[in-house]
Amino acid sequence: MKRANLAGWLLCVFVTGLVEVCVRVFDLRDSVPAPSATFRALVKGLASGALTGAVGTTLESYVEGLALAIAAGVVVGVVIGSSRTLVDCTSILIEFLRPIPVVAMIPLAILFFGLGIPMRRSLIAYAAVWPILVNTLYGVRGSDRMLDDVARTSGVTRVGRLVRVALPAALPSIAAGVRVAASIALLVGVTTEFVTGTGGIGSYMEEQESAFHLPQLYAAVVLVGVLGYAINVGLRVAQQRVVFWVGDERLAAR
Amino acid sequence: MSGRRLPGVLVLAAALGIWEALARARPSFLVPPASAVFERAGQVWPTREFLATVAASLERLAAGYTIGAAAGIAVGILMGASPAARRSLEPLAEFLRALPPIAIVPVAVVVLGLGNGMRIAVIAFGVCFPVLVNAWEGVRTVSPEARDTAAMLHVRGRELLYRFFLPAALPSIVAGLRVALSIGLVMLVISEFVGSPDGLGHYIRFQQSQFNVPELYGGILFLGLLGYVLNTLFLVAERRLLAWQDGAAGEPVR
Repeated sequence: MKRANLAGWLLCVFVTGLVEVCVRVFDLRDSVPAPSATFRALVKGLASGALTGAVGTTLESYVEGLALAIAAGVVVGVVIGSSRTLVDCTSILIEFLRPIPVVAMIPLAILFFGLGIPMRRSLIAYAAVWPILVNTLYGVRGSDRMLDDVARTSGVTRVGRLVRVALPAALPSIAAGVRVAASIALLVGVTTEFVTGTGGIGSYMEEQESAFHLPQLYAAVVLVGVLGYAINVGLRVAQQRVVFWVGDERLAAR
Repeated sequence: MSGRRLPGVLVLAAALGIWEALARARPSFLVPPASAVFERAGQVWPTREFLATVAASLERLAAGYTIGAAAGIAVGILMGASPAARRSLEPLAEFLRALPPIAIVPVAVVVLGLGNGMRIAVIAFGVCFPVLVNAWEGVRTVSPEARDTAAMLHVRGRELLYRFFLPAALPSIVAGLRVALSIGLVMLVISEFVGSPDGLGHYIRFQQSQFNVPELYGGILFLGLLGYVLNTLFLVAERRLLAWQDGAAGEPVR
């Protein structure tokens, strides 16, 4: 991608060293563990499987929920987006449902599903579906009318036109929506675990916090950051491959 | 998503009607009729207690949003304007941006305790990064020609900031501020889930623990309305502030 950014990494090393010194000199261990202790906890957690197991649990619900949201969001978005009437009919409903902060649904989901995996999966799916749905809808609306007309006069059926004209046209927009959804879904997934204590890296953080195991807590935070970063980079690369015909400047839109 | 409003309103009314009919036909503890939710909201929302809890939430949101937005704008412009600052801050910024903001909550609890400071810090953290990234992107849109011209005319420091960078970055900053508003609301709710004596997050969590289902629906509804109203007010302000721009509203980068 780019040249190695020496200054940036030097600053990271420098800041880490500075924190290490400050923690040792001013004895801040009650609120910030030394980076070396955090690093040791991270290695230990990964080696013992405590951290890897927690991340695995998180990723399981995350992937299922996100896949569900992509399937539902794209299908519903293409169907609604293909008809002016349907867009008009659903616009206000979507406008009202979308601003509800999804984390506010956590208490409701607990009552509905109890404290299990279905609760987490449905919250993640619900959170992720909105950006995908709306982006699909915009993408389909913005597709070239001429292509649709050509397909229609060539005798392509309505469903065929949705799949072969509207969907490809909406793909760049959908991809952008999936990336937004992926970060929201991770936030909601980890938050749900944190609040309900139902396993996963969120629960792990909550346990370490209440037990005051600070190096373990910070190690988990670093790992979540790495996870978020990896998902971000992975999706960016996937996006560049799938919608390769779109310029870089449009990839980040929305 | 504008368009004709009437069909949308009708569909919304129909959805409420179906909710009401289903809840009455098959009474369920988890799904109270819409009328019961609204009736309860009508009783609870005007009470002094509920308004105090709303006020507590709004205060936190305002404080956290202001701090986060100011920090994001300042660092974002710095990174856009100075290549050295960009290089040294980029890895750290990219990592923190990918970190789901929930991960900062246990850290903030350990460092700042369970008071308002922790909640405001958590909101500010969530708000900061979308603003930062968009301010950075905005400054990057200043063309090299404009930069060279400014350098040639010896435009420096404050004047460079106010005459070149800020106007160029403003549409993008405003777009980032709008994205940040909904993230701020999410972080507000999360922060109030954790050991808060008041606020809307605490309110819905409490209603869930008491199995007060209509009140719980009402709380979620209120948060949705709050998000909707804040976003609408923002759009109105945005149109005023950016009236000089020819319709090209900034698209947020995420």
